Amino acid sequence: MKRCGFFVLLALAGIQGIACAQSGAAPASLPSGYKVGRTAFGDPDLQGLWTNASITTLERPAGLNSLVLSPQVAGQIEARFAGRREADQRATDPSLGAPATGDDVRGYNSFWIDLGSRLAVIGGEIRASWIVDPSSGKVPYSMQGRQALRAAAQTSFDGPETRPIGERCIIGYGSTSGPPMLNVLYNNHYQIVQSPGHVVIVVEMNHDARIIRLGGERLPATQSQWLGDSIGRFEGDTLVVETSHLHPGQSFMADVRHYLYVPPTARVVERFTRVAADEILYEFSVSDDRAYTQTWRGEMPFRAAKGPMFEYACHEGNHSLTNILKGARHAERSR
Amino acid sequence: MNPRILAVGLGAALALMVAQPGAVAQSPSTPVPMKPDLNGVWQVLNTANYDLEPHAARAAMALREGPHGPVPAREVLALGAVGAVPGGPGVVVGAMIPYTAQGRARQRDNQQHWLARDPEIRCYLPGVPRATYMPYPFQIFQSDSALLFVYEYAGATRNILFNDPGPPPVDSWMGQSVGRWENGSLVITVTGQNDSSWLDRSGNHHSDQLQVVERYTPSGPNTLRYEATLTDPQVYERPWTISMTLYRRIGADARLNQFKCIEFVEELMLGHLRKVPLK
Repeated sequence: MKRCGFFVLLALAGIQGIACAQSGAAPASLPSGYKVGRTAFGDPDLQGLWTNASITTLERPAGLNSLVLSPQVAGQIEARFAGRREADQRATDPSLGAPATGDDVRGYNSFWIDLGSRLAVIGGEIRASWIVDPSSGKVPYSMQGRQALRAAAQTSFDGPETRPIGERCIIGYGSTSGPPMLNVLYNNHYQIVQSPGHVVIVVEMNHDARIIRLGGERLPATQSQWLGDSIGRFEGDTLVVETSHLHPGQSFMADVRHYLYVPPTARVVERFTRVAADEILYEFSVSDDRAYTQTWRGEMPFRAAKGPMFEYACHEGNHSLTNILKGARHAERSR
Repeated sequence: MNPRILAVGLGAALALMVAQPGAVAQSPSTPVPMKPDLNGVWQVLNTANYDLEPHAARAAMALREGPHGPVPAREVLALGAVGAVPGGPGVVVGAMIPYTAQGRARQRDNQQHWLARDPEIRCYLPGVPRATYMPYPFQIFQSDSALLFVYEYAGATRNILFNDPGPPPVDSWMGQSVGRWENGSLVITVTGQNDSSWLDRSGNHHSDQLQVVERYTPSGPNTLRYEATLTDPQVYERPWTISMTLYRRIGADARLNQFKCIEFVEELMLGHLRKVPLK
C-alpha cells in the first residue's frame, strides 16, 4: 500500500467533495547577464538534468497573504518543515505492535519522500506559490469548473479504471509530467535532450518522454494522447510550448499538497528560459473558457541536479493496485 | 549532469566532430565522421522479436499437441492466422545461441509457458537488446552533448551516459547505458539489467549478470547496422552476437505514436479483482 496510500488520504481530507527568433541567432543577454549557450544546430541550449523539487506549492497555502514572503516568514516555514521531516526520520518503536484494523498506516515514511527542503526563489523573491496570477494564488475555477473537478475526482474500488491514474502507473500523479509540470512528493527530475527539430523532456516519474516538435501540424483531435500534443518554437532564448488535446484521463491530478483540474479542452502555454547555467525559469499559463474565470499563470525554477537519473519502473512493481482491489473485495465479503 | 559541460567553447569544439543533420550517406571515398548523425525514427523489418534463432513459420506462439502435430493452444485459438508466427532466418551470428545445457532447458521451459511468463504480455519494460527489435519504432535524439533513445513500446527510454559513473547502484529493467564513439560507430555498454526481461517471444533469456555491448553503425543514408554482443557466463557458454539492419522511417511515418500498454493489460492482470468481473 505504500505507493498508493496517500490518494486515500486526499479523499479523507475532503478533496472528493471537492515572433520567433531563428535557430542560430546570437545569444541574447538576459537581465542577469547570463548568455545562453547554443547547441551545434543553433538552438538555445536547455539540456541537462533538472529538478523542480521545492516546498513551494501550486496554490498559496492558507494563512499567507502575499506571493512574496519575507525571509523571516520563509525561515519559519522551512524550520517547521524541517522539524516534521526530522520527526518522520525517527525509528519506528518496535513495541508499538500492529495498527488497529482500518487505521491509516501512512503511505510513506521520509525515506521515500524527496520534495526538497526550501521555498523557491525567483528573481530574488521567496515565493509562497507557483501561481502568480490571479493575485489570490488560487486556481480561478468557475462554478462549472468546480463541478467538473468534483466529478473528475471521484474514485471507487470497483476496478482498475476507477482508481487514480498514478495508482495505475499510466502517468505520474499530481501533474508531474504536465503540462503544467508540477513538483510532487518525490521523483521531481527532468532530463532535457535536444535534437534538430525536437526538444524532449524525460519525466522521472514513469519515464514519460514529452516529445516536443518544433513547428509542424497538430495531430488530429481524434488522436488525443497522454501529456497532450505539444508543439514548440524558440522566441529568442525562450522555448515556447503550446499544448492541446490533453487526454481526458489526466484531467484531475492530485498530489498530497495540491490537486488540479485541467480539462481536455484546455490550452497550456509553457515558456522555458535558461537564466543561469544552473537554472531554468519555467513559466506556464492555462486557459479554458468554461473551467476557469480567467487564464491563470505560474512561475517555477528548475534547478540543475546531479545525475544520473535512475529508472522509475512503476507498473513492473505495482503490487499496490492488485492489493487495493483485493482489499476492497475482502472488505465486501466481510460485511 | 553538470550543465557547465555545455559551455559554448566545448560545444563548438564538439560540433566540429558531429555530422550535420541528414549528412549520413557515405560512399567508400567519404571519410567516416567520428560521430555520425543518428537522429531519426528507426525500426527493424525482421522477426527477431518472435525468435532470435532461425525458425519456420508456426501456427501460434502458444501450442498444444493435436492429432497430427501442434495446434494453437486454447487461449490463443480465436486469433487464427493473426496469431500465427512468421518464419525468419534468425539474427544470431552462427545461428544458435550458445546456451549452457541448463540455459537451453530454461529457454524451452519458458517457451512452453510463454503466456504466463513473457514480460511483453504484461507490458513490462523490454530491456536491451529486445527494445531494439520489437515491432514498434524508436527514436534517437542526438545533440553534440547528449543522446537519448525513446521507444514507442511502453514509453521506454534510455539516456546514454558518455561519462561512466561506475557500476549502477541497483539493477533495473533497462539497465545503465554508457556510450562512446568508435570509428564512426556508437558503442553502448549496457550493465545492471535485472533478470526479468526476455530476449524474444520464444523464451530466450539472460541472468542479472548480462552485459550487452551494442554497436550502431550507419550503413547507408537510411539504414543502420545494429550489432549486440551478449556476455553472461551464468547462461551462455561464450559471448554471442546478434546482427540486423535498422531502417529509417520517413515522411508521415517518422513520428512515434504512444503505446502506453499498461491500460491495455489491466483486464488481463486485474479483471478478476473487479467488483463485478466480466463474464
